[in-house]
Amino acid sequence: MRSKDAVGGVVMLLFGVLTGALSLQLPLGTFRAPGSGLFPFALGALLALLAVLYLNSLRRRGSEAAQPAPAHWLPPLGRMPAFLAAIVAATALFVPLGFPVTAFVLMAALLRILGMKRWGAVLAISLGTALASYVLFDRWLQIPLPKGWIGL
Amino acid sequence: MLESLQYLLTGFGVATTPENLFYCLMGAIVGTLVGILPGLGPIAGIALLIPATFNLNATSAIIMLAGIYYGAMYGGSTTSILINVPGETASVMTCIDGYQMARKGRAGPALAICAIGSFVAGTIAIFGLVFLAPPLADAALAFGPPEFFSLMVFGFVVLSNVTGGSLLKALMMAIVGLIIGTIGIDPVSGDPRFTFASTALLGGIEFVAVAIGLFGIAEVLKNVEQPIEQLEQAVLVPRLRELFPSLRDLKDSLWPILRGTGLGFGIGLVPGPAPVIATYASYMVEKRLAAHPEEFGQGAIQGVAGPESANNAACQSAFIPLFVLGIPFAPPTAILLGAFLIHGVTPGPGLIGEHPELFWGVIASMYVGNFILLLLNLPFVPLFANILRVPKKVLLPLVILFCFTGMYTVNNAVFDIWTMLAFGALGWLMRHWAYEAAPLLLALVLGPKLEVAFRQSLMISHGDFGIFLSRPVSLAFLLATLLFLAMPLARKLFGVGRARADGGAAA
Amino acid sequence: MLRHALVGLCLLLGCLVAIPAPAADFPTKEVQIIIPWAAGGATDLVFRALAAVTAKQLGKAVVVVNKPGGGGAIGYTEVMQARPDGHTLVTAVTPLTILPHQASTAFTYQNFEPIINVVEDPAMFQVRADSAWKSLAEFLDYAKKNPGMITVGNSGAGGGVHLIALAFEKAAGVKLNHIPFAGGGPSITALLGGHIHAVSCSPPEGIAHVKAGKLRIIALFSEKRMEAFPAVPVVREQGVNFTMGQWRGLAAPKGTPPDVIKKLHDAFKKGMEDPAFVKNAVDMSVHLSYMGPTEFGKVMAADHERYAKLVQEIKKQ
Repeated sequence: MRSKDAVGGVVMLLFGVLTGALSLQLPLGTFRAPGSGLFPFALGALLALLAVLYLNSLRRRGSEAAQPAPAHWLPPLGRMPAFLAAIVAATALFVPLGFPVTAFVLMAALLRILGMKRWGAVLAISLGTALASYVLFDRWLQIPLPKGWIGL
Repeated sequence: MLESLQYLLTGFGVATTPENLFYCLMGAIVGTLVGILPGLGPIAGIALLIPATFNLNATSAIIMLAGIYYGAMYGGSTTSILINVPGETASVMTCIDGYQMARKGRAGPALAICAIGSFVAGTIAIFGLVFLAPPLADAALAFGPPEFFSLMVFGFVVLSNVTGGSLLKALMMAIVGLIIGTIGIDPVSGDPRFTFASTALLGGIEFVAVAIGLFGIAEVLKNVEQPIEQLEQAVLVPRLRELFPSLRDLKDSLWPILRGTGLGFGIGLVPGPAPVIATYASYMVEKRLAAHPEEFGQGAIQGVAGPESANNAACQSAFIPLFVLGIPFAPPTAILLGAFLIHGVTPGPGLIGEHPELFWGVIASMYVGNFILLLLNLPFVPLFANILRVPKKVLLPLVILFCFTGMYTVNNAVFDIWTMLAFGALGWLMRHWAYEAAPLLLALVLGPKLEVAFRQSLMISHGDFGIFLSRPVSLAFLLATLLFLAMPLARKLFGVGRARADGGAAA
Repeated sequence: MLRHALVGLCLLLGCLVAIPAPAADFPTKEVQIIIPWAAGGATDLVFRALAAVTAKQLGKAVVVVNKPGGGGAIGYTEVMQARPDGHTLVTAVTPLTILPHQASTAFTYQNFEPIINVVEDPAMFQVRADSAWKSLAEFLDYAKKNPGMITVGNSGAGGGVHLIALAFEKAAGVKLNHIPFAGGGPSITALLGGHIHAVSCSPPEGIAHVKAGKLRIIALFSEKRMEAFPAVPVVREQGVNFTMGQWRGLAAPKGTPPDVIKKLHDAFKKGMEDPAFVKNAVDMSVHLSYMGPTEFGKVMAADHERYAKLVQEIKKQ
């Protein structure tokens, strides 16, 4: 069963089991005097149970009527992985690079990934937004933001 | 009563001096801005401006800082509607129908109704504040741990499946939310839970990060899947005629606004993140009472009018415990308490007597402030709606930058940005797998409080479960919960009530 | 063309990185005080006020940054790893000596250099004005006859006032029932509503209500009586040999040069003496208590040992 519904259900089941298992390492206490592990354990168990019920209902549905081909568990990705990777990289470099530089680089990267061809436009928009947000956040609202190497 | 009116008039005298009008305006502007920027909320806004108020007298300072708080409630809905990013934690519910309205070219009416609803709710709520403050404060004190527990259980059961769809899936999402809420230090025992020896996780998972991730980032990622030609376009280009609400819109919104106000005002008295809960409750109520409930989730204006009014009303009533008891029930009012203290004013039982000009001046300035905010927000509606003309390939990176920066400002922690991204990816998957985000968020908010209240109650009663049943308010909520659960069963058995098209199964 | 641009950019960045900040001219930029709690708390207010007046002394801005989470652990861990050049400071508050015993934190008080102590808050028990116990003697008497029956709220399990309450229990020879709340506010609310019998807290929590006559201080754990309430005796005067309070001061990461510490100390000491700040403190019912670096360091060490024992005891329960 590769359908997205089935995969979703299995993920829930695994998450529930994992939670239950990890919470056994915490003091459970008694029902009258709950420890820190009791609530998470109950939740994990409940989630696992619900996931099993769900998977069961899927199986019943599947055998009852002829189903159209179920959707693949992942949608078509397009540029999503590159986009996400760019943001992840920016987050990792946020503190060392500092806010203005990160903002600039992030905008430029994302604009390119989404298909903006002309470098002139890319750089202009990126520079503009980085500067504008710097002025807004750092100068005007006086919010502490990472300074980075340049020390801005 | 007459006395109160007299005092109120003196208050207006204080509030309308040019000086105080200026500070009120400043507060309103900063509040709106802070509400629009995702992540950055009234807490940060107020905390940042406290030093600027050191040289002011107490009244002016509080006028400005209070303005930031309720101002943020006006601005928070803007990004919710335009780009599905909740600007404020209380704006999460507005995303659901508000964004759908924007996608249909109805961003203008949505934004306008938010402003109008917020104004009506705020104004009515201030009346409540003036005349009902002392008895309401006493009522709020009657809530002890057992009452909280029962109230949370009720809220949880009633509101879990607020957006409809498969009950089983909503419950699973709710439990996931509850589990995520346990990460961090257990407030009752002090033990760390699920922190894997990471200092960052000791702080728990930040709600705002989850909200922005599941709604905003997920929406962006979903858009990025599209082929390049679609990215050249804008979300939708609104026509000039469609920028303002029609008479029909106003008529449809009237009762949701009034009901939202009532709900929000009442729920705002409960300690904790009341505005968020108020919005869920309002959405639920409107959906149940609507003539066409199937419209909800597709762009029903009642789904925007109700919750927006509720969150403003809740915000105003949150001032009641602060002024009358001197105890803040929510983080933004905690900062306001700090502002009071720095200026040498101790809110609490003595406040009205010792500093009448402060109390009435601030109350009066709230009327003025709400009015200013209406004037500030309405004209900008066409401007904001036109943001949707920007082609997606430029708009989407801007949204990301916005969320990225705003998220950092909440706790000055890069970890929160990581959380936001993780939930963004998760939200994207959830969309595809047809799981709703709303139950998860509600559970994340209510879960920790529910657990704490449960364990506190048992500690007080030495393990006796009877404590939940022996106290009238607690018993009342538990019975209400049972009734609510029994309703679908009753319908099946006795055929009472509307036939439900979605065939929601009795769990 | 692109390659040239990239090379140029790298060179530019390289130059900017290479310029070091001269250490002798402290401070060269703004000084940050990290507060490991959310804005609005008692520590936050005191140090925002102090930061405002000390900026004049140092000649550069003094900025307060909140880094909440983990009961303070997040903020302390971050400052521990900051560059020890005196530009990043942290508010050293009693939980600094409590946290390392409760969770495996990366830091202890020894990862910091104490600079100055600013506030010393007495801890206390409060009850409702209409409570049956009119004096400490009656309270303790009831507690002895009914062990574990009196519910005493606190601002968080393992927090400062909780541990102080536990220590008092031992000193007075009674057993109480401690109920944790998520902060001082909720614990006072619960007391006002009559859901608990007493609360363990520290100013400014509850002070407004004591002044208004709704709450009463039934046990005061400081050395001397409070100026605001001269009629309230301390427990020492009433036969229980116990004093405990919470301190709030400033510290820098270990390795900060001694002359920088001295400059900071002198500046903040002058800030503490500023009449505007003193007035603020009085208004907030906050008790200013100066301690220099060596004395402060000794207090931290002593408390670290004290809390080690106390936390062990809770863990056993």
